[in-house]
Amino acid sequence: MKHSTQRVMKWSTVVLSLSIAAVCVSASDAPAAGANDSRAGEALYQVQEGNKVDEKTLKGWKTWRALACERCHGAEQEGMVGPSLVESLKKLSKEDFHNIMMNGRPEKGMPPFNTSAMVNENWEGLYAYLKGRSDGKIQPGRLQPIP
Amino acid sequence: MKRQHCWVLLVAATSTVTVASATDLEMAMSKSSNWAAQAGDYANHRYSELKQINAGNVGKIQVAWTMSTGVLRGHEGSPLVIGDTMYIHTPFPNNVYAINLKDQSYKWKYEPKQDASVVPVMCCDTVNRGLAYGDGKILLQQADTTLVALDMNSGKVLWSAKNGNPKIGETNTNAPHVFKDVVVTGISGGEFGVRGRLIAYDIKSGKKLWQAYSTGPDKEMLVDPAKTMTWTNGKMAPIGADTGIKSWKGDQWKLGGGTTWGWYAYDPKLNLVYYGTGNPGTWNPAQRPGDNKWSMTLFARDLNTGMAKWAYQMTPHDEWDYDGVNENLLVDLTIKGKKVPAVVHFDRNGFGYTLNRETGELLVAEKYDPTVNWATKVDMKTGRPVVDKKYSPGTTGPDVNVKDICPAALGSKDQQPASYDRKSGLIMVPTNHVCMTYEPFQVEYTAGQPYVGATLTMYPTPGSHGGMGNFIAWDAATGKIAWSKPERFSVWSGALTTAGDIVFYGTLEGYIKAVSTKDGKELWKFKTPSGIIGNVFTYEYGGKQYVGTYSGIGGWAGIGMAAGLTEATEGLGAVGGYKDLAKYTTLGGSLFVFGLPDTTSTATTALQ
Repeated sequence: MKHSTQRVMKWSTVVLSLSIAAVCVSASDAPAAGANDSRAGEALYQVQEGNKVDEKTLKGWKTWRALACERCHGAEQEGMVGPSLVESLKKLSKEDFHNIMMNGRPEKGMPPFNTSAMVNENWEGLYAYLKGRSDGKIQPGRLQPIP
Repeated sequence: MKRQHCWVLLVAATSTVTVASATDLEMAMSKSSNWAAQAGDYANHRYSELKQINAGNVGKIQVAWTMSTGVLRGHEGSPLVIGDTMYIHTPFPNNVYAINLKDQSYKWKYEPKQDASVVPVMCCDTVNRGLAYGDGKILLQQADTTLVALDMNSGKVLWSAKNGNPKIGETNTNAPHVFKDVVVTGISGGEFGVRGRLIAYDIKSGKKLWQAYSTGPDKEMLVDPAKTMTWTNGKMAPIGADTGIKSWKGDQWKLGGGTTWGWYAYDPKLNLVYYGTGNPGTWNPAQRPGDNKWSMTLFARDLNTGMAKWAYQMTPHDEWDYDGVNENLLVDLTIKGKKVPAVVHFDRNGFGYTLNRETGELLVAEKYDPTVNWATKVDMKTGRPVVDKKYSPGTTGPDVNVKDICPAALGSKDQQPASYDRKSGLIMVPTNHVCMTYEPFQVEYTAGQPYVGATLTMYPTPGSHGGMGNFIAWDAATGKIAWSKPERFSVWSGALTTAGDIVFYGTLEGYIKAVSTKDGKELWKFKTPSGIIGNVFTYEYGGKQYVGTYSGIGGWAGIGMAAGLTEATEGLGAVGGYKDLAKYTTLGGSLFVFGLPDTTSTATTALQ
């Protein structure tokens, strides 16, 4: 079951993201940032049982959902016409992430989200959520608050 | 002095055309050697009288020639053929090529420079549904909401008009339509909170003639509260005042959607244009209580004034994204012993509707896929669907995931147009056989940002044949399926029926198929390089009949589905879902043209 699911994702990535191959390449140029994000022992996100997260990360997921990011990046961030964020977030720094969110990459099809109040308020939570997805710590799909 | 003379003559000529005589488009459409409009005619029949290729010999047809379009995205629509020239189009950036049929060389090319920032605000791939022809012009509706009229002989821009604003999410995917001397176009952006409308231009000058919104004040909607009629308690009655505002909460109608990206039809006798409107703004029904008029509606409007003669809302207060944009076929039927000028519409919501196209009376509304479950039936007195609360995300409310709703958001049929077999009177319909889960949630509107508010997953209809599509023959007089041929994937390609007793369509794996109109028996198939989401067309040149199609997967079926499937396949077993598609196809962009083998010319080639 799980196996066939994964194959679908792979196919959609390969087949439908040919036109944005360049995005993936440029993403890999970004400096690795993982270590900087949890400095002073402060966790970027908190997660329990894979689907219960802290308030900030929850708002990040809600932002992901409200802005319909899955339309390009896939329901599980696996990539579609937009790049896989599971992969991109392994390398993308928080600063670069913020920059792309605000200014977009219009030439590659990524719109700027600087006019969205939700993104302005929650972009750090969104970064935390996607980082958690990329780290494999947060499960795809619906999330709940930590009780 | 001389100048004045010319003016008088010109005016005389123009008025004659409007009143009686056939336009050059009408003359071109009357010859079956041409494919002069996307549907071949005004009535959306997609039928050809050509029968050199027929049920007896279609098994022998082979590739005559091919051409790359140079773009690797979803290829919807079809080329046009007028005389010795074929006009082909591409997805974004919407290039247009005129091809000399004599030697398949380019006569001219039009390659518009469009701002690429339009691409992220396009809903479901960067498709374009094709060109229109009329008054010596080729009409292109670009993605960036620019309508362009090109000289059919040179490709030179004769006029252009702007019909929307991509900065607020307005784009275009529809083909423009020419009816008499009027170019009709629409708008896309139902997922960005735009306000849908139909727009008409004078084909001579590009001057805007009228614009009719799908929601809002009567004046802006071009409806007359006393004269525009709708089906009410078993008869036609006036719609009343301000229905496009009162059926919404507050100002929600301003983000009301009701986009207009389908295939329009025209009845010259009644002078009425027929089209459907799309989903209401935000997919979260809790945010827009009311019937949300006139989203999800069939309209019949006067071609000259745009005034609506009648309207019929298929899905009041949508909770499923069942856009009402699908094509309307104008056919004359005998229903219960009475001859009726009918309009037939296969809605995304899974019901096949037959209405009187002159009056708007509802005659037939039946499921054209028996597994449709969101409504048990259409109440023929009220004209409203009887919704099953079990499959109603509006009833369960936000943040509740409703499961196994059939059909899925992309409908029992989407834009892929059906074809009318004039011989048998049956309609040949390419369909989807897909169900979904639907979880609405609260969203806020920001101009130019997605305004969706629901998470969906889609999967093959459970407990059925395992495939995601059917190709069916439909009796629109009785609302019954005559025959049904299961397909592994959604049939996202438009059908073509011919007097040769065959119907052609394409599949997402990339096959173009010919089947018998009598029973759906497969007579011929050919594998093209990519999945087919274009419409099959036919023409005659040099005494030979040709059949063609674009090959290039994409569209909602190619993009949205593949992603939505991930969670959905869990718990369903190894059904024949989209995972298999990768075995058959990849992105492409080409035109394929087929014909019967020409023994004489083969011999000549061999001698050379």
